[in-house]
Parts: sequence; structure tokens; C-alpha cells
Amino acid sequence: MHRLPWWMGAILMSGLLLMTFSVFGADRPIGASTYVPYFAGILFDLDPEKYTYLKEIKNSGAWEGVMLFGVLFGGFITSVFLTKTFRFSLIPTGWKKYKNNSVLSRLLWSFFSGFVMIIGARLAGGCTSGHFMSGMSQMAISAMIFGTVVMVVLVITGKLFYHTKED
Amino acid sequence: MDIIVKTAGEDLPSRIAQMFESVIHQGHGSLVLVFLIGVIFGGIIQYTRVDKFEKIAGFAMLKDTIVPKMLFLTVGLTSIGLYFMVEAGGAHYHIKPIIWQGLILGGILFGISMAILGKCPGTGPVSIAEGRIDVLVGAIGGLLGGLVFTLFYDDIFKPLMGESSGSLTLPEFFPGNEHMVVLIFGIMVALVAIVIPKVEMFDEADLCKLPEGERPDRD
Repeated sequence: MHRLPWWMGAILMSGLLLMTFSVFGADRPIGASTYVPYFAGILFDLDPEKYTYLKEIKNSGAWEGVMLFGVLFGGFITSVFLTKTFRFSLIPTGWKKYKNNSVLSRLLWSFFSGFVMIIGARLAGGCTSGHFMSGMSQMAISAMIFGTVVMVVLVITGKLFYHTKED
Repeated sequence: MDIIVKTAGEDLPSRIAQMFESVIHQGHGSLVLVFLIGVIFGGIIQYTRVDKFEKIAGFAMLKDTIVPKMLFLTVGLTSIGLYFMVEAGGAHYHIKPIIWQGLILGGILFGISMAILGKCPGTGPVSIAEGRIDVLVGAIGGLLGGLVFTLFYDDIFKPLMGESSGSLTLPEFFPGNEHMVVLIFGIMVALVAIVIPKVEMFDEADLCKLPEGERPDRD
């Protein structure tokens, strides 16, 4: 079998979250969007002492930055040796089927949605990892508000943006 | 021979070194552990295939339900486990504040872009590691988003997020019955994961590389 069933993924992910939360682990939740402005600060050579936001994310940005290196490494190794899905591609099969065949269109939309996604995540103070997984696991009301809004908007956008009736 | 790492500079290598240094000193796990958490996180996401466009955008189109099923079961299991770990002193809660404007505006922007990109900030890097160039372009957009957010944080984004209404959790609404609330919440959320019907959208480009007997669409 070259992939894990969803319930096995959930059990493993739950174990990883608990280990990360544990005082014997990292004593903090998993988050995966603070590293983006952190790296933006480094790449665009912004002085971390001059910008309020860089000061706020100094620690969590660094933590997630190191974790990101792990994610890239883990994702690469798994895709080469376990799922055997490593390949260079410019356009997903599902995009071709439900949107269009244009690489340019996919790249422009990717760029645009990547930009908007990080603004959104940072406005809300978290993403799927920080709010949905880590936040909801702590039964935080903030995570439930974010999760509900995201789910509703996600499905509405899916209906409007893709040609789903052309099956 | 001693290895001397210069971490005082402002050039790119020094800034990266400062990142490692910060993790070493902030007391949230050793450098190796944090890296390992990332490796396992990326490995689970890759091995369950939930980083795929067909899974996330597929969920937006309601043609794939693996992502919500896995998310809800993860939350159900973790919420119960974490509560008792906190009770036993083995972990702490880190509750994010309720900032209504930020959560709703951010949620709307995040939902739209998640449906279009078919990734989120956690699954995106896994796809990039798998060779998806379109997601790399999305990440460049994300870095610019992070830059704009940082540059205009004081003037635009911080006021846009609004004031915090505190950091509340569900059990706090039911004083005296916390244990019960946690168990009910955890079991309900896990049940939701199991009850959601399993629908899948497959990617022929990945499936065609597997031996005939191992194709998940032929189960």
C-alpha cells in the first residue's frame, strides 16, 4: 500500500500533536504559517528590530522555520521512497479537469492565492495547523470561529470557481 | 578544532544561524526535536496524500472528504488526550485570542485562497518537496503576502484585526462539568469524522505509477 488510510493519518497526527504539546516535547502547539512572514523578513532583509510584527513573531517564526526544514525533508523523502509520487509538474490533474488547461492561468492563480492566503492566515493568527488542528484540540473558541468561516467560504468558493457540473 | 558560527551579522547565512540559535534558546524542544516534528508532520501529510490539490480543492468542490475526515478525527482524539495531559501537568494550553474581525476577515481570505490553491501553509511545503512547481509559485506569492503584512502591520493590518475579546475555551462555559464537556466534544467531533461519507477524487498521474493491485481506486 503506497498511502495511509485517513484514520491512520489522524491517529499518527494526533500522536504528533500530543507529543509536541507535552512538556517532554516542545510544550507548544504546532503552527505552520508564522514562518512565512519570518522568512519574508529574512529574504527581503528587513531589520527585525524595526518592525513590530517581526518582533512579535521572533520566537514562533524561528521555531516554525526550523520545523519547515523538517517538513520539506520529510515530504521529499516520503514522496521519493514511500508514495513514489515525486515528479515536477506545473498544473494539477484536477485543475485541468475542473478549471482549464492553461499553465499560465494556474500559475497566476497560485501566485494570487498564495499571497491572499498568508494575509488571511496572519489576520486570523493561524491556519489549518495552528487554528484548526491545534486550536480546536484545545477547544478554543477562536479556532471554532475561524474553522467555521473557512469551511463555509471554502465550499462556496469551490462551487463558484470550478466547473463542477461538467462531469 | 572549534567550529565558530557567526550569528551577529545581518546577511542571509547569519540570519538563518540566528533562527537556529533562537530555537536552541527558547526552550520549546531541542533543535533536533523541532526538525523531527517537521519531518514526521511532512511524512504523515505526504503518506496520507492530503497535500494533493485533488484532496483540498476536491473538498472545496465536495468531491473528496478525506481532508475533513482526517482533520476532525485528529481533533477529536487530540482534544481528549490533551485535556487529561494538561490535568496531569504534562502539557499546557496555548489559547489564541478571539479577535472577531481578524478571525472572520482572515477566515474569508483563507477559505477563498485554500480552495483556489488547493493547499494550505502546512500542506504547501509538502507539495513543493514533491516537485509541484505551481505550489512553489504560490509560496512566492505567500512570501510577498508576508512581506506586505509585515510592512503595513501597524498602519493597516493591526487595526483591521480589531481588539481581542479574551481567550475562551468551550469547557469554560460549563464550570463544574469540564470533564463531561471535553469527553462529549471529543467523541462528537470524532463521530462527525466517521459519519462524513467517504468520497474520493483520484489523480491518475499518481495512480498510474502504482502496481495494479495497489491502486486505491480499485479497492
